[in-house]
Amino acid sequence: MTTPAVEVIGVSKSFRLPHQQTTTLKQHFLHPFSRTSYETQRALDDVSFAVPPGEFFGIIGPNGSGKSTLLKILGGIYRTDSGTVRIDGLLSPFIELGVGFNMELNARDNIRVNGTLLGLSRRQLDDRFDDIIGFAELERFVDQRLKNFSSGMLLRLAYSIAIQVEFDILLLDEVLAVGDESFQAKCFATFEAMREAGKTVIFVSHDLDAVERFCDRALLLRGGRMRAMGAPNEVIADYRDRVAAGSPS
Amino acid sequence: MATTAPAGPAGRLARRARLLHHLRILRVIAGVDFKLKYSGSALGYVWSVIKPLAIFTTLYLVFAKVFRLGEISQYYPLALLIGIVLYTFFTDATTLGMLSIVSRESLLRKMSFPRLIIPVSVTLGAAITFGVNLLVVTAFLAWNQIPPRLNWLLLVPLLLQFYVFTLGVSLILATLFVRFRDIGQVWELAAQLILYATPIIYPIGFLPEWARTIAFLSPLTQILQDVRAIVLYQDLAPNRITVADAFDSSAGRLLPLGITIGIFVVGLFIFRRQEPWFAERV
Repeated sequence: MTTPAVEVIGVSKSFRLPHQQTTTLKQHFLHPFSRTSYETQRALDDVSFAVPPGEFFGIIGPNGSGKSTLLKILGGIYRTDSGTVRIDGLLSPFIELGVGFNMELNARDNIRVNGTLLGLSRRQLDDRFDDIIGFAELERFVDQRLKNFSSGMLLRLAYSIAIQVEFDILLLDEVLAVGDESFQAKCFATFEAMREAGKTVIFVSHDLDAVERFCDRALLLRGGRMRAMGAPNEVIADYRDRVAAGSPS
Repeated sequence: MATTAPAGPAGRLARRARLLHHLRILRVIAGVDFKLKYSGSALGYVWSVIKPLAIFTTLYLVFAKVFRLGEISQYYPLALLIGIVLYTFFTDATTLGMLSIVSRESLLRKMSFPRLIIPVSVTLGAAITFGVNLLVVTAFLAWNQIPPRLNWLLLVPLLLQFYVFTLGVSLILATLFVRFRDIGQVWELAAQLILYATPIIYPIGFLPEWARTIAFLSPLTQILQDVRAIVLYQDLAPNRITVADAFDSSAGRLLPLGITIGIFVVGLFIFRRQEPWFAERV
């Protein structure tokens, strides 16, 4: 048996959301015993799965079901409360429509920053720069600040960076959400190429047709819990039934 | 969560590659910070020299001319300038360092990398500005016909201590600022008080013995007085008041250095401890 590319064992994660968002020193010192009231939001509850290398693994579920939190834990951005995550291979994250751009900087500098963060050397950056900007079809806007970009342009740039770095495992969060038809077609072409190359992809999407078309397996999350896992068409049918039935969880 | 590097040559290679990767991140982040700081400003980098010079000129006119402190020593203007330049670096670096984590929220929420790179990057950026300001100080020294001497090399470890102290304070502030936003107000006030609590404008000799001892507990006072002693007062024993004059024992003399190391260690410790939660708390 091969080592899974991604292994998640019993992962739980809660967020403490203070009722009053601002914490000031005054509140802290004047009322040291009256703890600010927190609401504990359980984002993930005992989630376990393993993704073998080369698999396209889909994660579906309604808004607030814990999909993005799970990806952030896989990406090493959030720490788990309990449970273990094992990643075997180089990972490239594309989370919440992006890779952490600075809107005051132009596209060129953002590519430099994010490419470097994702492990490219200066030379690799120089070599791939044209590919990145070319795939995103943003040649004309390379020296424009990102604050003047549309959300579709930002998405194209972020996706282009995420797939041009070295990786074995790609985390994709809602990559099809704001792109137009032609960009979606391009994405689908890259999915095929990644499958050929044996890359592992964790694919979070509301586009159930795309999940059915590309994923080998799918996981349905609801309220932070695993509701179903298995063949995409069955998991999707399960999800659609629940939505149709109006079941709360 | 991250795969642990195996021991042996492969592990060493992996560590080396990781270090290189982190240094590349540091260079790129520092580079774009520099670009952002002066983007859209006509004078750009010149501002980093104008600022301390403008403060110096104002304080010089008020204290050297109006309060006549300039009459006590021909070195007063240079001593003041050195004090202002050091103080400007300290407050700029710590203020930027304090804000550094919170202001990079969007990056923190999407990318995993050692968060320590961020405060190191902004304080190094401030250190480059400080270096440029030191060139201006050197020009003033040359104007006053003070020749450089070999033991100016002692400035190197001294400035290193200064950076370590500044980074330590920045790490503490950056960590606290994620949780308590009014640290920003606190530090703005503290910076004002530090200007007067440190012998920048007035000579430390004006303080009574007991107050001098307290002043020298601050590494800022120790570093400032050491720099002045090395650069200005090599042949002027009466003007040379350093930490050695405030404490009789050698343990006492090492106190500011100990405080520097202590602040740095505490800063590093609390920063590393809180680091995993920055992404969800900023």
